[in-house]
Amino acid sequence: MILLRLISWPYVRKHAGRALLTVAGIAIGVAVFVAMRAANDAVFGAFTQTVSRLAGATELQVTAGFSGFDEAVLERVQAMPEVAVASPVIEAVGATGLPGQGNVLILGIDMTGDRSLREYDLESGDAAVLDDPLVFLAQPDSLMITAEFARRNGLRTNDRLPLDTVDGRKEFVVRGVLGASGLSGAFGGNLAIMDIYAAQHVFGRGRRFDRIDLALTPGVALDAGRQALQQALGPGFQVQTPSARGQSFESLLRIYRLMLRFSSLFALVIALFMIYNAFATAVTQRRAEIGILRALGATRGQVGLLFVVESAVAGCLGSAVGVALGYALAGGVARLIGTLLEGIQGVGQGQAEVTPTPWLVGVALALGTLTSVLAAALPAREAARVDPIKALQRGRLQVLGAGENRARTLVAAGLGALGAALFVGTTSLPAFYVGYLCLLLAALLLTPWLSVALVRLLRPALVWLRPTEGMLAADSLIGAPRRTSATVSALMLAIALVVGLAGIGRASHGQITEWAESALNPDFFVTGSPTLTGRDYRLPEAMTGELAKVEGVAIVQRMRQPRVAYRNSLVLLMATDVESVGRTARRTVLEGEAADMYRRVAAGEAAIVSENFAAGFGVHAGDVVELAAPTGMLRLPVAGVVREYSDTQGALIVDLALYRKHWHDDTVDLFRVYVSPGAVPEEVRGRILTRFADQRRLFVLSSHQVRAYVGRMADQWFSVTWVQIAVATLVAVLGIASSLTVTIADRRREFGVLQAIGGLRRQVRAAIWMEAATLAVVCLVLGLVLGALHLYFVLQISYRDYPGLRFDYAYPSLVALAVCPVMLAAAVAAAIGPAESAVRGSLVEALEYE
Amino acid sequence: MSKWMLIPCAVLAAATTVTAQDARQVVAEAQARSTTKSQRYEGRLQVVDAGGKTSEKRWTYTRLGSHGASKTIIRFTGPAEVKGVALLIVNFPDRASDQWMWTPAINRERRIATQDRRTRFFGTDFSFEDLEERDVDHHTYVMEGEETLEGERCWRIASTPRPGRRSQYTRSTLWIRQSTYSFAQVENFNGSTLVRRLRYRDMASVQGIWSARTLEMHDFTRNSRTILTLESLTYDVPLRDDQFTVQALQRS
Repeated sequence: MILLRLISWPYVRKHAGRALLTVAGIAIGVAVFVAMRAANDAVFGAFTQTVSRLAGATELQVTAGFSGFDEAVLERVQAMPEVAVASPVIEAVGATGLPGQGNVLILGIDMTGDRSLREYDLESGDAAVLDDPLVFLAQPDSLMITAEFARRNGLRTNDRLPLDTVDGRKEFVVRGVLGASGLSGAFGGNLAIMDIYAAQHVFGRGRRFDRIDLALTPGVALDAGRQALQQALGPGFQVQTPSARGQSFESLLRIYRLMLRFSSLFALVIALFMIYNAFATAVTQRRAEIGILRALGATRGQVGLLFVVESAVAGCLGSAVGVALGYALAGGVARLIGTLLEGIQGVGQGQAEVTPTPWLVGVALALGTLTSVLAAALPAREAARVDPIKALQRGRLQVLGAGENRARTLVAAGLGALGAALFVGTTSLPAFYVGYLCLLLAALLLTPWLSVALVRLLRPALVWLRPTEGMLAADSLIGAPRRTSATVSALMLAIALVVGLAGIGRASHGQITEWAESALNPDFFVTGSPTLTGRDYRLPEAMTGELAKVEGVAIVQRMRQPRVAYRNSLVLLMATDVESVGRTARRTVLEGEAADMYRRVAAGEAAIVSENFAAGFGVHAGDVVELAAPTGMLRLPVAGVVREYSDTQGALIVDLALYRKHWHDDTVDLFRVYVSPGAVPEEVRGRILTRFADQRRLFVLSSHQVRAYVGRMADQWFSVTWVQIAVATLVAVLGIASSLTVTIADRRREFGVLQAIGGLRRQVRAAIWMEAATLAVVCLVLGLVLGALHLYFVLQISYRDYPGLRFDYAYPSLVALAVCPVMLAAAVAAAIGPAESAVRGSLVEALEYE
Repeated sequence: MSKWMLIPCAVLAAATTVTAQDARQVVAEAQARSTTKSQRYEGRLQVVDAGGKTSEKRWTYTRLGSHGASKTIIRFTGPAEVKGVALLIVNFPDRASDQWMWTPAINRERRIATQDRRTRFFGTDFSFEDLEERDVDHHTYVMEGEETLEGERCWRIASTPRPGRRSQYTRSTLWIRQSTYSFAQVENFNGSTLVRRLRYRDMASVQGIWSARTLEMHDFTRNSRTILTLESLTYDVPLRDDQFTVQALQRS
C-alpha cells in the first residue's frame, strides 16, 4: 500500500495520459466484449421470450421441418389419448400496406380450440365479435392486432388494414385488439391473429398446416407424450417442446453468433496486447525507481506485486468504464443483430431491451481485471528481476539474452512442427484448432527474432536513405527487440486478421458471384414473396401452365424449397424440375459425373447435395441420405456434390415429383422463367405482371435483381467483421505510439548527446519517424505473411467447421497493397507525438538522465 | 344438441305421484319421455353479458336420432355476418361428438376442435360439454329430496360422473318436475363452486312431449346469460341420413 502511494500514484499523476491509455485499452476490450454479449443476450432473450409468448400453454409442437403437412394429421393427433388439446397453426410473415410498418407475423389459429392454449387477453373490440369465434371464423377478413401495432397506426376495431395475400392486396377488418401482455409482446407488437383457414388461403397453403400445438392430457408426462406422438406420427415429424423448436431455429443463426463470439475474443486479445504494452512502457520508464527501491531493500516479490496490484487497479477501473461503455454500445449492436435476424425471420423482433445483468457485469469485471493482471504479469516479472546496477544502464534490459533467444527458437520450432503436423495431417476439428494455435504461438515467439532479422535486412536501405538517422533507427530496433515485440506481435496479428477477412471476402464474393451467374441464370424469378428466400406466400401448381402460355416465355421451372429435418438440423430441400434445371443452370460439380447425376436425380432415384451439406454431415457421392418425410423415411443415394450457396445449413436438390410424392405438397415457392430467343425480357415481364395483375400477389424479379440481392446477403455475412478491422487499425496507432514512447524514454540520453554534439532536431525527428516506419514495415511483412496462413485457416474453418463452404484460396493482393500505406501513415502519425517529445525536452535533463 | 336441454320431457297424463323413487329411474324416465326420432325448430339465441349488452343470433336446428346416437345440423340465419354458416354435429354414445363447420365466405368445411370441452360454444354461455347428449348411464345419481321450483314440485337429484368419464364439472344437481318428468333446472359445480345454471321454461306439450321453449343458461364465472328461444318446434319430421353429412352441410 505504501509502495502504491509513494511509487505508483506519483507516476500515474505524472503520466496521466499513459495511465488513461492503459485504462482505455482495458475499457475498449471489455466494452466490445460486453456490447457483443449484452446485445446477443438481449436479442436472443427477446427471441426466446417471443417463442414462449407464441407458445402459450403449448407443451409440445408437431412439425415436419418447414414443409407443413396435410390437415389429416391433426385428426390423428387429436385422436390420441395422450393429447388433451391439439390446435393447428400457420405462422407466416405478411406484408402490410401501411407505410413504414413493413411486415407482421401472422399467426393463423383455430379459435375454436386455440384459446385453451393461448391467452388472447383481448383489450378492446366488439365483445360479441371477440367473444364469438363464429363471427371471426365466418368472416375470413377478420384480424386481431396488438395494442402496440394499433397505437402506432392509429387503428381501432372495425378499421380496415391492408394486407398482401396470394391474390394481391386485400383489406382486412380489425375485429379485436390484443392487450399488452401475453401474445401481444411478441415481435415488438408486429403480430396479427387470423383464422387458420383464412391464413391457408391468404398464404396459398392449400389444405395444409405448418404445425400443431398441443397440450397433453393431465397425468401424461411430457416425455411419455412426446414419445407416444413420435411413434404414432413416424420419423417424418418432429415432436418438440416450444423451447427446443426455438433452439432449432436459433441454430440457423449459429454463424452470426460464432462471429460475434470471435469478435469479443479478438477484442480481449487486443486489449491484452495494449495492456502489456502499457506496462512494458511503465516498467521501462520506472526502471531507475525500481533500481532505487531494490537498492533500498525492497524484495523482488514486493516490486512484482506492486505492478500486479497496479494492473489490477487499472483493470478494475478499465473494466468498470468498459462495462458502462459496452452497455451504451449494446443497443446499436442489438439493432445490427436484430437486422440479421429479421433477414432470416422476415419480421423484426422489435427493439430488444438491453438490461445489465449481474452475471455479465461480474464476468466482464473479472475478465477485464484478469486480462489486465495477465498482461502485466510479464512486465511485472521483468520489474522484479531488475538488477539495481543494470537499472541505471538504459537499453540493457531490452536485449534478449542468447539463452532466452535459443529457448524461444527451440520452443517455437517445436510448436511450429507440432502445429504444421496437426494443421495439415489431421481431419479432427479440435486437433485442427490446436494446430493453428501452435503455429500462431510459434509465430509470436519468433517475432523478436524475425523482427531483428528483418530490420538487419532493411538497415542498408535505411542507411542509404539517411545515413545517420537510418542507422540510429535500425540500431535502436536491432538493439532492443523486446521493446517492440509486443507492438509487432499485436500489429502482425491485426494485419493478419485483415488479410484473412479480406481474403475470405474476396473468395466468397467471387465464388458466390460465379455460382449466382450459373445457378441463378433464368431471366426472371416469379415468386409470391419479395425475396427468393421468402416462403410465406406460396403459389399454386396451376400457375405453371398459365405462365408457360404468356407470350415470350420459353421455359418455366418450378421450385419448392422448404427446410426439412436431417440429423437434428434443418436443411434446405430444393425440389425442382431437375431435368430442365440440369440443362439450363449447371452448377459446378465437385463429386460425381454431371450427366449421370442429373439423370438419376430427375428420375427420382437420387439426390444432389451442396458442398456445405457434404462437409457438414460428412456425406459424399455414393452415400445414402435418409430424409424424414411425412410418409416415412426416404433413403436416397447421393448422386453428386455441387457448389451451391443457397443456405448456410446445407441444401439437398431433389426432383419436384419425388418431393410431392413424399410430402404431399403441391405448392410452389417460385418459378424460374426463361424467355424465348428474340423476346425482349422487359416486355415479357410486363406481360406476366399484366396477366396475373388482378389475381395474384406476384413479384417478377430479374436475374440482375436476384444477383444483387445475393451479393448483399453475402456482404451482410461479413458486416460484423468491419468492426474488427477498425479495432485492428486502432491497435496499430496505439501500439506504435506506445512502443515509440518506450523508445524515447529509453534513448533520452542518446538523443540528448546527439543534440549536444550538433545533431539537429530534424535529424532526431527523422530518426524517430524512420524507426516508426521501419517498425510498420516489419509489422507489414510479418503480418502479410501470417495473414496468408491465417487466410488458409479461415477458409478451412468455413469448410471444416462452419458453414461448410469451400472457397478457393486467393490472396487479397489489392487489400494487402492498400493496408501498406495505411499502416505506414498510421505509424508516422503515431510517431509525431513521441518525436516532438524527444526534441523538445530539456537537453540538460536528458544528459542527466542516467 | 343435447336432448337434456332441448327436448324436455313429455308428460304422462296419468302419471301417479311418486313420493319416493329411485333417482336413476327418475332420470331414465325423463330421458325415455323425451325420446323422438327427429326434431326441428327455429332458434333465437340471445347472449346478455355482465354489462347488460345483448347480442343475438338465429338458427334453424334439425336433428335425426336420439340420445347419444344423433346427428344435428345447425344453420345460422342471422345476423348477416354469420348467415350461411352451418354446423354438423355427430354425437356418439361413448365419446365426444365430431363437429364440422361450413363457412360460405371461404367456401370450405372445417373440422372443429372441441377436445377441450370446457370451451364456450361460439360465444354463448354453453360449453361444448353442455351440448353433448348425456346418457343416463354416464352418471351416478342420488336422490337428495324434493323442492318446489317456480311453483312446481320437483325431485332434487345429485349427479356425479361415473369413474373414467371426463367432465369439467365434479358434480351436478338436477331438478326434475314430478308432474311431467321434464327437467326444470340443472346446476353444475366445480368442487363447491357453482359454475353454470340451466333453467327450462315456457313448458308446453308439443306432439305429446313436454318441451321447454326457453332455455336460460347462467354462467356465474362471467356473470352472463344466454337465452335460447325455440320457435316452430316439431318432432318426428321425416329426415334422411344423407342430409346429415359433410357434403350435405355445403348445400344450403
